[in-house]
Amino acid sequence: MVEWTKKHILEIKDLTRQEMEVVFNLASSFKEVSQREVKKTPALRGKTVVNLFFENSTRTRTSFELAAKRLSADVLNFSSSTSSISKGESVVDTIKNLESYHPDILIIRIDTSACLKNFLNYTKASIINAGDGKNEHPTQALLDMFTVKEVKGKLENLNVLIVGDIMHSRVCRSNIFGFQKFSSKVRVCGPPAFIPFEFEKLGVDVFYDLDKAIEEVDVIIMLRIQRERQNLAYFSTLREYVENFSLTPQRLKRAKRDCIVMHPGPVNWDVEISSTLKDELHPLILKQVENGLAIRMAVLYLVGAEKRERKTLRK
Amino acid sequence: MKILIKSATIVNSKNTILADILIENGRIAKLDRNIKENADREIDAKDKFVLPGLIDLHAHLRTPGREDEEDLISGSCSAAKGGFTTILCMPNTNPCIDNEGVVEWIREESQKIGIVDIIPIGAITKERKGKELSEFGVLKKAGCLALSDDSDSIDDSYLFRRALEYAKMFNLLIISHCEDKNLSSQGAMRESLISAKYGMSSIPDIAETIRVFRDIEIAKYVNTKLHLAHISCKKSIELIRREKETFPYLTCETSPHYFILTVEDVEKSNFHANFKVNPPLGERNDVEEIRKAIKEGVIDCIATDHAPHSFAEKEAPFENAPFGFVGLELAFSLTYTYLVREKIISFNQLVEKLSYNPANILGLKDRGEIRKDAIADLIIVDVNKSWQVISKNLVSKSKNTPFLNSELMGLVELTIHQGKIVYEKPFFPSIDLSSGE
Repeated sequence: MVEWTKKHILEIKDLTRQEMEVVFNLASSFKEVSQREVKKTPALRGKTVVNLFFENSTRTRTSFELAAKRLSADVLNFSSSTSSISKGESVVDTIKNLESYHPDILIIRIDTSACLKNFLNYTKASIINAGDGKNEHPTQALLDMFTVKEVKGKLENLNVLIVGDIMHSRVCRSNIFGFQKFSSKVRVCGPPAFIPFEFEKLGVDVFYDLDKAIEEVDVIIMLRIQRERQNLAYFSTLREYVENFSLTPQRLKRAKRDCIVMHPGPVNWDVEISSTLKDELHPLILKQVENGLAIRMAVLYLVGAEKRERKTLRK
Repeated sequence: MKILIKSATIVNSKNTILADILIENGRIAKLDRNIKENADREIDAKDKFVLPGLIDLHAHLRTPGREDEEDLISGSCSAAKGGFTTILCMPNTNPCIDNEGVVEWIREESQKIGIVDIIPIGAITKERKGKELSEFGVLKKAGCLALSDDSDSIDDSYLFRRALEYAKMFNLLIISHCEDKNLSSQGAMRESLISAKYGMSSIPDIAETIRVFRDIEIAKYVNTKLHLAHISCKKSIELIRREKETFPYLTCETSPHYFILTVEDVEKSNFHANFKVNPPLGERNDVEEIRKAIKEGVIDCIATDHAPHSFAEKEAPFENAPFGFVGLELAFSLTYTYLVREKIISFNQLVEKLSYNPANILGLKDRGEIRKDAIADLIIVDVNKSWQVISKNLVSKSKNTPFLNSELMGLVELTIHQGKIVYEKPFFPSIDLSSGE
């Protein structure tokens, strides 16, 4: 096993395949912890974790909060709607302010892309990216890959298809960089306005036709559609979007027989995925949520626990 | 006051001459070998170059309204330290420069300071709202030579046509910031593989080029002069190059960052807001094309687009921060370092782009060249000296430049404006403010 050296989890772009494997192995152990009667380990006892959410989120925030609590950390929840941000305090000043409490880990969700590396100048704490604008959402990609690994037994040489609003999706970007590091091929599919400039240069195959894109794929990730994009003419009507990009039983038949379908949630049933598939697909999507907790415990542990403790855990 | 500059190597746009310069009554009184004259001050310029004072067609002085970012004193000092003796300031102020009151106030205040000549650019439309024309004749009488709505390109083509027609009557120059705001759709950087990779909201280069095309077509139709601000991309250059062959009233500028930096530098900065500018930094082939266009003369001049912003504003995440760089203190050294030293243009061409052509475009016949009877606006530079771009070396109130911590060649040592020494490194003799070096 490689020695963990990263202080922050900012982007999947920065992680190696070996580092991701460390996260997955650790997540497996933590998953077991969550199934115990007493769901708590003392790994981060005495550490202060701040959930710093400048953008609304319930699912990711609660997942991180529970992960930190199960590791016995003290958790401070900060969300912009109830904070000084609404009084006009800048993001940087908020971070500087919190720094006075000497936090150990800042979990940051923010609506602006690629801004976290500059925040490192203002804090000594580790930063975990919980979604920065349209850039990355590394723990979501890690939990997606972890789920694939559990079901498929491997992450290598798979055909992964991501469908929907590629342009605005941090989940998509993180998954692309993640799966590519395991030599899997990623395809993206959506209306052209949702495909970023020169995107194929990232080594992904671009499709506008879901029926073609879905052929021979092992993994499908359906992205959530934000209805307000329609007003900006990214696509015409929701009806037409559904007709072209919704996952239906007929379409799913074109994929490999053992193809799995994931969704970062919450699902708009009958928009991204036909609700006739709900019974079939929902269990795995809920498993993603369970795995999300384990992955977040793993990354919190890796950046937050003392080195000495990390070694004992490995034995 | 009489000033005698001895052994000057005078660099004009068209020639380089070795001579002494006698300055008297704010004018260049004599230009000759071995002038023997008792002066109040004699300056030995041996091994240095003497250039006509630089002229900037595009600066933002933030006054009135945001004096915390720049005021007329700090802006004047910043200009003089960078070798500028005439600067035009954009009307994106509060109140807006759209009436004679604000124009006269800026003219009077800056003349009292007396460090550089500040000529306000009037707004084309009232409050730069793109709805109603401002009073061009009144603005001209108050001292404007050019009009612009600055960063708000006039979307209404009908109104832009009428503005060009009305400006023609007063012989006023229209300066156009070319941007189709629907296309740039609140982007933060150039649309590119890097913007795609980091999910950064982006501006396609065609947002500029489409507006360049429209503006040129309207100017041709009206048959009047038009100046295009801060051209940043290859596609626009190709269009301008073609149109200039048949349409002589078209001129344009670029800014130093467009012939130096690319989207890769934005990525390398980890998306620091000091790298955010509008139009945004482009690709390597844009930089190459702009260098070529400067050399060929397709680009007439280099303007700073000096845009001071407070530290707090530029500390914000890239997508939320305002656009713009300070540039008055950097433009000469950047042009010298990246174009003259790299042998892309000659030293004479630098003078052409930073002084002679801007004077010509404005119709200012008394400056832009060192010759007998011209206004004594001139600078002495040492091209063998380098300097560090660090906050404390900048006299502008704002320090937002992507060139922080770089080392540049070419140092302005002395600036004379209207026959008076206004900057002598590191001091501004007329005011109590040292440059901090």
